[in-house]
Amino acid sequence: MINRRTLLAGVAGAGALVAAPSILRAQGTGPIRIGALNPITGSGSPYGSGMQKMILAVAEAVNAAGGAAGRPIEVFAEDSQTNPQAGVLAAKKLIEANKVQAILGTFSSGVSLAVLPLCNDAGIPLFHCSGAPALSVPPANAKGLGFRFQATNGRFGQAFAAICEKEGFKRPATMAFNNASGIGNTEGFRQAWEAKGGKVVESVVYEPNQASYRSELMKVLAAQPDVIVTGSYLADTTIILREWFQSGQPVRWIIPGWAANPELIQALGPDVTEGVISVDSVSNEGSQAFAQYDAAYQKAMKQPGTANVYAAMTWDMLNVLALAIEAAGSSDMSAVVPKLREVGNPPGTVVSSFAEGKAALKNGKINYDGASSVLDFDQYGDVTPDFGAYFITAGKLERRYVVKI
Amino acid sequence: MPYPALWFRRRICFYFREASALFYAQLIVNGLVQGLIVGLAALAVTLVFGVARFANAATGDTMTFGAYAALIGHKATGSLVVAGGAAVGATALLSLTAYALVFRKLAGRSVVALLVTSIGVGFLMRAVLGIVFGHNQQLFTVPLVRPIRFNGLVINPFDLQLAAVAAVALVGVFLILYATPIGRRMRAVADNRELALVSGIRPERVMIALWLLVGAVTGVAGMMLGMKTVVSPELGWEMLLPAFAAAILGGIGSPAGAVLAGLLLGVAQELSTPFVGFTYKLSISFVVLLLVLLVRPRGLFGRLEGVR
Repeated sequence: MINRRTLLAGVAGAGALVAAPSILRAQGTGPIRIGALNPITGSGSPYGSGMQKMILAVAEAVNAAGGAAGRPIEVFAEDSQTNPQAGVLAAKKLIEANKVQAILGTFSSGVSLAVLPLCNDAGIPLFHCSGAPALSVPPANAKGLGFRFQATNGRFGQAFAAICEKEGFKRPATMAFNNASGIGNTEGFRQAWEAKGGKVVESVVYEPNQASYRSELMKVLAAQPDVIVTGSYLADTTIILREWFQSGQPVRWIIPGWAANPELIQALGPDVTEGVISVDSVSNEGSQAFAQYDAAYQKAMKQPGTANVYAAMTWDMLNVLALAIEAAGSSDMSAVVPKLREVGNPPGTVVSSFAEGKAALKNGKINYDGASSVLDFDQYGDVTPDFGAYFITAGKLERRYVVKI
Repeated sequence: MPYPALWFRRRICFYFREASALFYAQLIVNGLVQGLIVGLAALAVTLVFGVARFANAATGDTMTFGAYAALIGHKATGSLVVAGGAAVGATALLSLTAYALVFRKLAGRSVVALLVTSIGVGFLMRAVLGIVFGHNQQLFTVPLVRPIRFNGLVINPFDLQLAAVAAVALVGVFLILYATPIGRRMRAVADNRELALVSGIRPERVMIALWLLVGAVTGVAGMMLGMKTVVSPELGWEMLLPAFAAAILGGIGSPAGAVLAGLLLGVAQELSTPFVGFTYKLSISFVVLLLVLLVRPRGLFGRLEGVR
């Protein structure tokens, strides 16, 4: 039996259906669906929230500027838990249930390597912040859909070599954790250093999870290096530096930023870590895009934008994607992906936001300069950010200079 | 390795270039230190196998628990003695709890059932430790000391202490096994369970004593490992395979064999590095194990026994 109230509700419902978002009627005019897959929990959790909020902030800015190719952006956010299994589940949900057109902001190499094949199958791009060299090439990046907004481990190695030269070291040795990332760092260093005519006096690759690395250290130190360049993680670095300090042989260290961080200083104290050089990629801090990102980050996270290099990367991800969609005039990814290099790389009018780029696109080619880097993709979809050389002095990380490679 | 012959020649060159007696002596010292920790863990594995007759895969995670217990004791009081007491006490209790709640119910089931169950118990412990303490590494803040140089040999005073603790633990286990009534009963149950039962030994008491003893040893091993490295929920799990290898090499059920085999494996690993490099030194344990099983399947100190 139909009473007046149900009748009214039914009429209202039917009315709402007619006025419903256009996705129900036509695929081509509804919002463009984008997946944000960030490390909200797990070891990437210090960065994940900020990364996600920057994607949302850019989506808002794009929509305020009239959307990309005339359509608004809708963001579906998921937590990768910094864990490949969880990341794959979330990516499947984004692709199959939410029908997203791109996945933005995976963080650890393990997650990116696991999610990229799903994106390949779906024919949508993956924008990530991981370092593993394997993400550049087939099989992982067989379709060229992976775009990297962070430096590769090989480029980290080049930065190590530049710093080594600048600091006047003559006899470097290397120690690497036996995986793609660790060896990627030290091999990148070796190639760059030998290209400068230098020689690496000793190289050790070690297995993780050992009770002691003393024999490994003994071999490296026997070559009398003046500096040891590492590709390692926090736990093994902690053990190695402690054992090295106890050996009493003076040597300097150049260590990637994810291992030589405040946690390492806290674990070992200022005496052991004094003079260690920590190298991390830095944002494109002088740029206009960075200023806009910085303001948005402060508003969302109550912290300066420099606190989270990965958030600057996700900021650029959606900006450059929206610009490519605008340039392609459609959200069909087979048309959009080729446009990514066109809007990101020179030549063209330099722009630093979606609104600016949208206007400039009417007059010809554009070159988006990002908050995280100048954002020029190479043939592999990799960018080349700048690197900061941080020196640990009296228990504090202090940035002395920026290296461009 | 594109040119095996060249690679091998380089290795040999390294061997002769560095081949001073001192170099090898130093490798042996490093190996002994590594081996002590493996030996302590193997001691815990072998005790359970000897008496309760199954391979306890939760040994590694019980060690992790011991490391965290010691860490809490150390942070609260700053005393390593208190930390050791906390590790021994808390881990013994945990070990007994695992027996009372899980392993006792499965008595009489197959060895495989118990092994799989112990994997589950270990998994649970690791997950709980991860939830409670997080996955960030934690560290014992002990003052760093310069090593003692003895005829050019570099010895860390901390490693001497470690050796002393391992020796005390071993002597303690031996005293309990060979000089106390409960130890005699334990050995009797290990030797022939049925015979022990008909001669009036109550297995329940023996099991309680066994799990307390095993827990204490595991706690000490965990604390030592935690002090040498960094404490995280995966700490002990990584140690499990070498510990199993040492227990088998030593002769399953033989406490002295376990410790000695741990030392042997540690030394063999480090001495192999000039030839195989650091990446492959871990596999040396397994090569040694393979050879032992081929040549002397009962291990170094094991007895030959028929299937009962």
